[in-house]
Amino acid sequence: MTMETTELKQQVKEQIIKFLNLTTLKPEDIKDDEPLFGEGLGLDSIDSIELIVMLSREYGINIQDPKDGRKVLVDVNTMVDYIEKNRTK
Amino acid sequence: MLYVHSSNCISPQQTFPETELCELRESENNQLRVKEPAYTNVPPGILRRMARAVRICVGAALPLIQGIQEPDGIIIGTANGGIEDCIKFLNQIIEYNEGLLSPGSFVQSTSNAPAAQISLISKNTNYNNTVTHRGLAFENALLDAVMLLKEKPDGIFLVGSVDEISDYNFNIDLLAGSFRKEIVSNRKLFDHPTIGTIAGEGVLMMTVSNQPEGSIARLNDLQTIHTSDEGLVLETLKQFLKRNGFPRIVPELLITGENGDIRLDKYYQAVEALFPENISVARFKHLSGEYCTASSFGFWMATEILRNGKIPDIALKKGKKTGFNKILIYNNYRGMQHGFMLLGKAEALSSSKQ
Repeated sequence: MTMETTELKQQVKEQIIKFLNLTTLKPEDIKDDEPLFGEGLGLDSIDSIELIVMLSREYGINIQDPKDGRKVLVDVNTMVDYIEKNRTK
Repeated sequence: MLYVHSSNCISPQQTFPETELCELRESENNQLRVKEPAYTNVPPGILRRMARAVRICVGAALPLIQGIQEPDGIIIGTANGGIEDCIKFLNQIIEYNEGLLSPGSFVQSTSNAPAAQISLISKNTNYNNTVTHRGLAFENALLDAVMLLKEKPDGIFLVGSVDEISDYNFNIDLLAGSFRKEIVSNRKLFDHPTIGTIAGEGVLMMTVSNQPEGSIARLNDLQTIHTSDEGLVLETLKQFLKRNGFPRIVPELLITGENGDIRLDKYYQAVEALFPENISVARFKHLSGEYCTASSFGFWMATEILRNGKIPDIALKKGKKTGFNKILIYNNYRGMQHGFMLLGKAEALSSSKQ
């Protein structure tokens, strides 16, 4: 894993906490491969829209197809991988 | 009309979970903001997304409905709902050029979000209504409960009101002259009356029914009027009192919404002058601040006085401190929306109506 990827993961975790108002969590509480929805962080459908908004605002990524969202918003690893390949800012 | 069985008031003062009105909590920058409690009854995953108005409302409501029969309805009066999130959402529309918007602040900012959240958390699918009559939203929420209890005499309803300060509408109201331009402590709100008052916020939630058993107070009558005509306000009050036995039956305590704004003093002075010199007068806006549903704080204070038998020293304007069976609340919002509520101990008012 490159230094950039490690830093991006930390940044994404901070943004998840900020956008979803997860004030009781710190970035280190979120594991890279911990599922965002269901048993992991326990996020729900409204959170998924918040995360899509976050990707758009912070990285210029517009997810149009809901099927893509399901593949991207699995855990921090999948999000960071998608951001690295598709970011426009 | 209806009996109040339990209530929770989250306000800028120490009123929840325990009530302690000996010490006055001071305003900051002409604002009295609620001190939020720990929300032990609300799942953290839901709490994190709530607007402040929704949080305090749910926090006050949930303890009331746990362990009792499912309420037949939830009725909340609010002028502005989660106004802070509403403005956040509107700002996003501008900031992101009407692009992709965050849904959380929209969902939480609608006026009916507090009643809806209580319903969702408690899985209550009965009647659910939000009343938005600005300065009379609380009074109209009560009126809705009164009418529902006529339709369903055995029912029990969760009724209340909530409003919050938002920085944005505070500034707008400040520019409009509603709040004092110079900083004033709520401790000295009535010492130097001038134009404007201080801002406040809060929530009151209550369970109400037609059953006197176990009740803490009875709402005997309620009247609202929209006017700036002082004479019409007085005439309405005279008729209201007459149908409640005046002058044979006189409330021992008048609680007014006096707020230190000289433009409104004429209404409060005229109402006070209608009663004998020896009746006690209390006021509460130095405790709650001014907001559209502030009369609910006066209502809560009246139920506490009936429950405890005495007025907190910091609320008393004149007269004796104890011995109250009937309390009249008069509040007006910006000299346009006036409300009268007559409360009493269940037994006292029941007998006076006969």
